[in-house]
Amino acid sequence: MRLHPFELIEPSSVAEAVAALGGADGEARLVAGGTALVPMLRMGLLRPGRVISLHRIAELGRFAVSGGSLHVGAMVTMAAIGRSPEIARGWPLLAAAAGRVATPAIRSSATLGGNLGYAEPASDPAPALMCLEAEVDVAGPTGARSLPLSRFFAGFYETALAPGEILTGVRVPAAPPGARSGYVKFCPRSAEDKPLVGVAALLVMDAGAGRCVEARIGLGAVAPSAIRASRAEAILRGATVDAATIRAAADAAVEETDPLSDLMGSAEYRRQMVRVWVRRLLTSLANG
Amino acid sequence: MSLVLEFELNGRPCRTSVPAHFTVLDLLRDGLALLGTKDGCGEGVCGACTVLLDGEPVRGCIVLAARVAGRAVVTIEGVGGEGPDALQEMFATHGAAQCGFCTPGMILSARSLLAVNASPSAHDVREALAGNLCRCTGYVKIVEAVLAAAGRSAACASIPSS
Repeated sequence: MRLHPFELIEPSSVAEAVAALGGADGEARLVAGGTALVPMLRMGLLRPGRVISLHRIAELGRFAVSGGSLHVGAMVTMAAIGRSPEIARGWPLLAAAAGRVATPAIRSSATLGGNLGYAEPASDPAPALMCLEAEVDVAGPTGARSLPLSRFFAGFYETALAPGEILTGVRVPAAPPGARSGYVKFCPRSAEDKPLVGVAALLVMDAGAGRCVEARIGLGAVAPSAIRASRAEAILRGATVDAATIRAAADAAVEETDPLSDLMGSAEYRRQMVRVWVRRLLTSLANG
Repeated sequence: MSLVLEFELNGRPCRTSVPAHFTVLDLLRDGLALLGTKDGCGEGVCGACTVLLDGEPVRGCIVLAARVAGRAVVTIEGVGGEGPDALQEMFATHGAAQCGFCTPGMILSARSLLAVNASPSAHDVREALAGNLCRCTGYVKIVEAVLAAAGRSAACASIPSS
């Protein structure tokens, strides 16, 4: 089945894209990789008169490291993130999460900016980027601004983007020295699915004392958007990370979720799976 | 609104005009009458419309046709020359196609794997084909065919089902 007809605009700079979006008076949709938008167009859930594709804006398709911080343009694909040796070395948590999105043929199209701008609650990269304390760069009619990813997500498929604003990139600070991190996703139906529960975690251990110096836990698919499990983190910080501490942290993480029931699983099942997968990931990191 | 697209199609230059709302799948099947690329789920899940864009597998049904401008597209019609290539040969030899609807997408996903990993494990093959659904074969023969095409013994026969 064809998509309903629309006018396609292919700006070659961010300024042109902002102008096109502003000039469309709310009748336009931005498309990055299309993995979310095109199925919605086909199903008729959206019928924009204009579609603005960002693929000709060269600067959005690049990533670079500067001053120890990684900047990823909004149009960089999951595949490009997943296969970059530089990102694997410096930001292995992001590489791991991007490499677990859907399937190879989706990762080659799906972009980081599209994933975050769509505010998919079950995003794989979002909980990883929350752990890494990423910021997003936004351009709009009144200029550019940056804000923490934790404030960018405003609700279920909602962002803090104002009308006419475009997410242009993501800034990811260096992880703390000695950090160990990982991302696990639990997919009860098939491996290429969105996660029922996604867990990203980052731990810094004091080598001598065996104590946890820093702990960050990001959760996906269990709240209107990706969240940090800050009470669970507080239990880990300063503690000896043994089985009892890990259990206490996993139990605390459950209490920080606000899951929905859907075809993949009930809210209560999601809560139980948060307990299981937080415990498993922390155990593996603590022993790592 | 229509677009004029210039790109490389199966190794040859192609210039064509398509409506702006066409996907790559619409471009191939309806614009260029290349019917080897199959129209399955229409939402990027089944893999029947997989083609290669600059060597990477993509879903024709969710990529806008505009995205091929200046790039190289390979469809199943571009695989093999006078005869079948190694993957096609091994799919036939191993009985890896039944109804055949998923086969073009399987071959192109497998080709993209072999381009970057000349001697994959069965696990690598399963990961690369994770987004190509087959409702006939149960996948075992498909994985065997890809391993055989990579020049590996298909004797690693017992492939776990999950």
